[in-house]
Amino acid sequence: MSDRRYLKPAAAVALALVLCLPPFYLDAFWLRIGLFSVAAAIGAVGLSLLSGTAGQLSLGHAFFLAVGAYGYTWLAGDPGPGLPTALAAVLAVLLAGVAGGLFSPVAGRLRGVYLGVATLALVFLGHHLLLTADSVTGGFNGRSVPPLTLGGFGFTADDPELTVLGVPFGAEERLWFLGLALFGLTWFTARGLLRSRPGRALAALRDSETAAAVMGVDVARYRSAAFVVSSMYAGLAGVLLALAFRRVVPDYFSLALSVDYLAMIVIGGLGSVAGATAGAVFVTALPLLMTRYADQLPLVATPGTEDGGVGPTEAARYLYGAAIVVILLYAPDGLHGLARRVRARLRPHPAPAEQTPASTVPSAPAVRPKEHTP
Amino acid sequence: MTVPQLEVRDVTVRFAGLTALDEVSFTVTPGTTHALIGPNGAGKSTCFNVLSGLYRPASGTVRLGDTDLTRLAPHRIAALGVARTFQNIVTTEGTVADNLMLGRHVLSRAGFAASALHLPRAVREQREHLARAREIAELAGLDGHFDTPVALLSYGDRKRVELARALCLEPRVLLLDEPVAGMNAAERVRMAEVIQHVRTELGLSVVLVEHDMGLVMRLADEVTVLDFGRRIAHGTPDEVRRDPEVLRAYLGTAAGEEDAA
Repeated sequence: MSDRRYLKPAAAVALALVLCLPPFYLDAFWLRIGLFSVAAAIGAVGLSLLSGTAGQLSLGHAFFLAVGAYGYTWLAGDPGPGLPTALAAVLAVLLAGVAGGLFSPVAGRLRGVYLGVATLALVFLGHHLLLTADSVTGGFNGRSVPPLTLGGFGFTADDPELTVLGVPFGAEERLWFLGLALFGLTWFTARGLLRSRPGRALAALRDSETAAAVMGVDVARYRSAAFVVSSMYAGLAGVLLALAFRRVVPDYFSLALSVDYLAMIVIGGLGSVAGATAGAVFVTALPLLMTRYADQLPLVATPGTEDGGVGPTEAARYLYGAAIVVILLYAPDGLHGLARRVRARLRPHPAPAEQTPASTVPSAPAVRPKEHTP
Repeated sequence: MTVPQLEVRDVTVRFAGLTALDEVSFTVTPGTTHALIGPNGAGKSTCFNVLSGLYRPASGTVRLGDTDLTRLAPHRIAALGVARTFQNIVTTEGTVADNLMLGRHVLSRAGFAASALHLPRAVREQREHLARAREIAELAGLDGHFDTPVALLSYGDRKRVELARALCLEPRVLLLDEPVAGMNAAERVRMAEVIQHVRTELGLSVVLVEHDMGLVMRLADEVTVLDFGRRIAHGTPDEVRRDPEVLRAYLGTAAGEEDAA
């Protein structure tokens, strides 16, 4: 037993070290895929908390991502207050949380599909605002994003010049580590939330609001808290996406983006941090990879050609559409559940040993004909 | 822990013209078991829903000691130490431990920030409450199942999970809605023992809705009989058993009686 106790932290440290390697071996293309995946993972964890754990369907995640991305750009930029970038990033996350909080009067009154449709309105509202509030958002063409600077260290190509172990550190390399750090923070905090009092209260809301209320959970408060927390993760993801894109444009934050995030958490498995991460990587990386390797894939057209094949982005959409259907049919608990079952099958020996004493201790007549009639 | 008196006075509940409860009154003496019986549709569950704050009565009051519960939200009533179980099991996904820890919600403090940051205070609190939840699981006869997913448990065990979860609130008043419905004879006997045991052990008041007359007669100190939303009899189990009104109400609807379980 004592060996196993150190296994998990050791594995985490090893994984963290491995994740530090890519900037030394991979080029900017791969780092960018990684960065977008990490940013998506942060956002997906937030949505998973809201829709997976608390059971509140949201199609408005793109809106909260936009609040984070544009919030940072405006707060740190010109036109805008031109705040120190690190402060602007923190404020942008809080701003997204406030936006989530402002939505809570609606969120508190609607359930299920109705809530989904109400959040849908947020996306359209947000998109309209982004297009029309020119002085803040730059309108249709968007705005360029001021690069983040932390204590004189800029997340840009050459401010200051930096070479580590013979590898010149450009913007991608630097942002990769920023993304890792923020993702680590997300993982740490989300796991803490899910495995303690607030997480259990949210899960209770999902399974039965009546039972949750009777157990002492303030239903209205926790429903809005779920929105606030989820929006803050979305805001953080938005900030990171803005830094990675270096430019924010309204069309990115469309309904399709919200649907992508829903796809991520369904593929990954609702309510699981690891699942949301896996789903985010899958949904984000797939279209980018297919675009890159379009010329080598059958039935996929190279971008910019007219040879009658399916464009790589559409092909990626077909693929993850198919992935969702397959997962809903064969593994409704997503990649996370699949992984858990595979793990359980790989070590069948300890499981029965644990089960035997547990099932013999309680009352003998455990097997019992179903006697209650409806 | 002093258990206050639970007093229901002239409670009336109407659903669109149907009077589900008609000026019902009864008082639960501290530390006793009070049974609420009656044929199907008599208003027993409605009464529970009023007690736990899920329904607001059209008139009448519910008082716990000096506190008026009538207008309080369910979570506030839970915080005052009124816990309940449901007729059809309502547990959350996850293990027995997860469910019981939900019962510790009102007794613990850790909020979103403290939990997200794994603050030592929150971690320590969780550990303490987990230890207590484990004790309560044993008290309710769930030893060995603490880390089992609820979905894998037998029906009887899931009923016990609900009881244990309610006990995790360290309630002063425990409302049990058909705690042995759907159980076989052995499980019923065991559940009765558990209820008896926790009542004496924790010194709380129990309000019991149950169709199993054997159980009611054995556990209850006082019985209130409802029929069509009205109180038709009240007294000790022996008094109620001989009451002509009660006999008529029960024999008249004896056929419907079997469906309840």
